[in-house]
Amino acid sequence: MKSKKSKNSFVGNALKDLFDVFRGEFVHVFKDSGVMIIFFFAGILYPLLYNGIYNNEYVYQIPIAVVDESSSAESREFVRKVNATREVEVAYKCINLEEAKELFNKRKVNGVIYIPRDYHVKLRNMEQATISIYNDMSSFLYYKGLMMAVNYTMLDESHKIQIERYNSAGVAGEQAEQIVKPIPYNDVVFYNPGNGFTSFLIPAILVLIIHQTLFFGIGMLAGTAREENRHHTLVPEHLRGNGIFRVIIGKALCYFVIYAAISAYVLGFVPKLFGLPHIGNIWTLFHLLVPFLFATIFFSMTISVFVKNRETGLITFLFFTLILLFLSGFSWPRSNMPVFWQYVSYLFPATHGIQGYIKINTMAAELRHVRFEYIGLWIQTGVYFILASGTLLLTLRKEKNRLETEQD
Amino acid sequence: MMLSRPIYLFSTVFVMGFCYIFFLTMMREGLPERLPVAIVDLDQSSISRRFFREIQATAMTEVTLRCTSFEEARDEMQKGNIHGIIVIPRDFYKDLLAYRRPEVSFYVNNAYLIGGTLSYKDFLTMSALGSGAVQREMLRAKGLTETAIMGRIQPIIIDSHMIGNPWANYGVYLINLLLPGVLQLMILLLTIYAIGIELKNKTSRDWLEAGEGSLVAALAGKLAPYTILFSILGLAGNILLYKYVQYPMHGSFAVFSLATILYVLAYQAIGIFMIGLFPVLRDGISFAALYGILAFTYAGFTFPIEAMPPVAQGASVLFPIRHYFKIYVSEALLGTSSVNIIIYFAALLAFLVLPFLVYRRLKNALINQNYPLK
Repeated sequence: MKSKKSKNSFVGNALKDLFDVFRGEFVHVFKDSGVMIIFFFAGILYPLLYNGIYNNEYVYQIPIAVVDESSSAESREFVRKVNATREVEVAYKCINLEEAKELFNKRKVNGVIYIPRDYHVKLRNMEQATISIYNDMSSFLYYKGLMMAVNYTMLDESHKIQIERYNSAGVAGEQAEQIVKPIPYNDVVFYNPGNGFTSFLIPAILVLIIHQTLFFGIGMLAGTAREENRHHTLVPEHLRGNGIFRVIIGKALCYFVIYAAISAYVLGFVPKLFGLPHIGNIWTLFHLLVPFLFATIFFSMTISVFVKNRETGLITFLFFTLILLFLSGFSWPRSNMPVFWQYVSYLFPATHGIQGYIKINTMAAELRHVRFEYIGLWIQTGVYFILASGTLLLTLRKEKNRLETEQD
Repeated sequence: MMLSRPIYLFSTVFVMGFCYIFFLTMMREGLPERLPVAIVDLDQSSISRRFFREIQATAMTEVTLRCTSFEEARDEMQKGNIHGIIVIPRDFYKDLLAYRRPEVSFYVNNAYLIGGTLSYKDFLTMSALGSGAVQREMLRAKGLTETAIMGRIQPIIIDSHMIGNPWANYGVYLINLLLPGVLQLMILLLTIYAIGIELKNKTSRDWLEAGEGSLVAALAGKLAPYTILFSILGLAGNILLYKYVQYPMHGSFAVFSLATILYVLAYQAIGIFMIGLFPVLRDGISFAALYGILAFTYAGFTFPIEAMPPVAQGASVLFPIRHYFKIYVSEALLGTSSVNIIIYFAALLAFLVLPFLVYRRLKNALINQNYPLK
């Protein structure tokens, strides 16, 4: 009987301590305008800003110049078809390549199509005719746009010319198709059918916003506490030692509650608001979110030990935002990343968070598809919880020693 | 002073060195190769196996998975293990022989745009080659020569010139601007920190006195070492990228390096402007973080500025990195060093006016120390 009672009071005390820390941290967060700006202002503003800037998804109607030295029915047809694609627009027709290059160098056009004098002659003689294109490599999207437009037109024209030839040779209809294209293809583009840049970039950015605002916010809270030497008063005397877990968990729960709300907005609402892909199951997303937030919180608490002042966190780690984005493998494919960086990427909750979110939100993955990320995040949660507790214990011990020597 | 705290050394030499190594090793392939794809061969004939070998021979993709059903392959795609799927239907060979035009299907995952686009390109080439191969056999049987056959199979070919980046190296797209992007971030943050910390620690009056009451002298004394350090880091990056790794540099390396130094100065000027506008270390840093991160967007090297909504476009002139990018395109990619780029040099110089706009405000703040410290 007795042991049961003491056990009850142990649980009761633990919960009370936990709640005290939880409530105390809430006060710290809401009293600190710097942290409020990072948590709420940045969390709300950044998704809107990025969606506003990348609103258009595509690069439409890239201005190009055409040099048509062939001036034939065939070449004019080619130019007309290229102009009809959504990717490019024939902004200038030049009489020679020099003129077009001049426009290109003056950045008036982002690509040049050159049709040589003998284009129609070669076609009529059933030889291979060549069309030259000059790509603007200053942006991947210019290059991709012109390449796609010209290649589609080339395939379309080639097909038409071949059919015409067989027709004039007396082979018509289905039979000509059989010869020209014996193996037709059917292409299906999954998850981002319009090749949209926004649909590709923003989901990764959204997760990164959660990760980084949490990281810098927690870093700022820790830096402030350290400047004010508050660790000493922050952790009540009776919570030193084993009670340290109550402090860590109490704080973590406070951040978790705040970020559950912010994440619902950033990861759940924003994609709907801006018409980005959002075909994921909300419960699957929730399953991923819980370990992602806890892993990020404990990770941030661990690193925040190294943050000595309010501002130093931002100064030293802001550049890492970019590193995290590339480590996540949303852009440069994970399969082609050096093995070393793949292992390094597993240290950060952002990696699993971004991958898991893209798979669930954009690709409608179920939990079994993101098992790797899901388990990875729980492992990170455990490891960083232990590390955060350990570092807090060390800090307290150091401070205690310092205070004792000061008193002597 | 500069070496007194670890933060200075960390935020300059270490950060830049780390980023140079990180990005160059990350994208060392230049263009992603052998992207994993799956094949679902429902035919299992000699011709469908030939298809498989053809894909293996292409540079961009590699079949890492042979699935027995489409559902299985799609599952792997949702796990993110493969970028694309090719499905060869049942009775493919039989239908081909009977001229029934069997259809090959391919599926790509464009949630990851780079992997998706490159796999798509490979699949498209391959399926065109497949049709071509069948047609070629037929024409050969009729006794046509190879040249005559090519003229018939592929009447038009595209000869593609990639100006300035002939290998479509992905690193050239990104690294040349990502690294100056990190550089500007560190310049902004450290400039603001170096000045703001004097306010925060209430040492600003001593500092002004060291400059004998002249803010210009005090600023010059404090920031000149950074100018030198960041210029060295920027120029070292130029040497690394354009001399050592041999990224394209068709114009003048010297002119471009001059731009790099102006770029450093322009961002230092913006840093002074920001701390002058908000003479509180915390606010200055937050503002710099917001602005500095946006530079990656407003350089316009991933998503062109022209494709942004008109309202968002105008802001790009407020970012030195945008002008630096324009100089980079002219010098490095096009090699058309000429009057065209003078305007962008002028734009970089124009940023140097900014500190004078906040001169009085900053000096008052330094003397009166009348802003909140936290």
